[in-house]
Amino acid sequence: AGPGAAGVGPGRAGVDAVSAPAQGGGSAVIDMENMDDTSGSSFEDMGEMHQRMKEEEEEEAEGEAGAGEEEDGEFLGMKGLRGQLGRQVADQMWQVGKRQASRAFSLYANIDILRPYFDVEPVQVRARLLESMIPVKMINFPQKIAGELYGPLMLVFTLVAILLHGMKTSDTIIREGTLMGTAIGTCFGYWLGVSSFMYFLAYLCNAQITMVQMLSLLGYGLFGHCITLFVTYNIHFHSLFYIFWLVVGGLSTLRMVAVLVSRTVGHTQRLILCGTLAALHMLFLLYLHFAYHKVVEGILDTLEGPNMPPFQRVARDIPVVSNAVLNTTAKAIALTL
Amino acid sequence: LAELGINFDHIWQKTLTVLHPLKVADGSIMNETDLAGPMVFCLAFGATLLLAGKIQFGYVYGISAIGCLGMFCLLNLMSMTGVSFGCVASVLGYCLLPMILLSSFAIVFSLQGMMGIILTAGIIGWCSFSASKIFISALAMEGQQLLVAYPCALLYGVFALISVF
Repeated sequence: AGPGAAGVGPGRAGVDAVSAPAQGGGSAVIDMENMDDTSGSSFEDMGEMHQRMKEEEEEEAEGEAGAGEEEDGEFLGMKGLRGQLGRQVADQMWQVGKRQASRAFSLYANIDILRPYFDVEPVQVRARLLESMIPVKMINFPQKIAGELYGPLMLVFTLVAILLHGMKTSDTIIREGTLMGTAIGTCFGYWLGVSSFMYFLAYLCNAQITMVQMLSLLGYGLFGHCITLFVTYNIHFHSLFYIFWLVVGGLSTLRMVAVLVSRTVGHTQRLILCGTLAALHMLFLLYLHFAYHKVVEGILDTLEGPNMPPFQRVARDIPVVSNAVLNTTAKAIALTL
Repeated sequence: LAELGINFDHIWQKTLTVLHPLKVADGSIMNETDLAGPMVFCLAFGATLLLAGKIQFGYVYGISAIGCLGMFCLLNLMSMTGVSFGCVASVLGYCLLPMILLSSFAIVFSLQGMMGIILTAGIIGWCSFSASKIFISALAMEGQQLLVAYPCALLYGVFALISVF
């Protein structure tokens, strides 16, 4: 259909010239230049002729409008071979474009596969968030993992927001890249990368866990990270951070480890899986805290002022009134406890 | 202007729906995708930031585009009926209006104190509450208002971050 369709324009005048005596209408002049304007094999010629005959019938039905088109065809026919080639190229580009678009559309249709993982109620999300901090005791029976992606995705975005806030309050300067890019890259990289790595290890260690479950487990484990960082980016105490790191980070790690242990058989396999997960999870929290904390300390080394509490050399703070108030309040509470 | 599809009465109605948090939203309100209002609000937001000394039009446009895309994907996955990109962009653009109040406040006062934090939190809550109210009435997602409000709150939180710092 390609060459046939492409050859319609310039060739039409030739056909009209040929068939004019038989039908008694149109131009009586045979345009010899256009008669040679066919692509090659006789098969294609037949296709073209067939196409032209069909369009001839349509044009006769239109009447005067058909005559106008004939004239256009004649005018375009002056371009000859170049016009036909141009039309072929345009036609091919259209086909390629259409194929790419339909491929992209079918890719979009695959996103519907993710639909069941976003079908949740607020109550369920809240329950799962709280459960992610409570380690299970029963490890002899495989524990159920909710295969849901809404909660983990929101937690990753929350971590991004907290990181951005922390970077802004500590005036972090990222030299290669943007703050937003760094935060998103770090959080999503951890979530997707460590999940894939743990899934690979689980495959090696014969653990009963799917990729979505792994993503969900690790995502909910970030709840502890969010709480810790939210508190410690605003109240700057090394000791407070370490307490939160051990308690909150430890609880969420224990929960993930317990669930994995309940789904793995064999001591060595359990050790490998759980050791790796615990190490990565705790070290990530440490990294997130200190990657931006060092900058704060570096800046503040030169800002020793009267606001410095004389008895405690801890992570200091940019001297802003509200933060100083927060710090003294936290100190007072810590002293009274 | 009517030929361009800019209907001032509808724009005003939608603006009132956003500004009045307790007003019940009409489900059919978002059937017509109107991007003229959101465009004006984005420009106004950029202009108020400019008055505060921050030339960050690029960030505003970039974050709105990416945020709209993200919300579009999420809402399509969460709702029974799909939603068009224009509808999402329109709703998120209209609900940016309270954020303009925040950035105009930032021209005169610094938002980095305790009062700034409380005001910012309130405005973010207002924006995301309005946006989620309109979304759930347009998409008939009863009982999931909090689930829709939270991602909106994160998006408006990033805008607030630009205003505050």
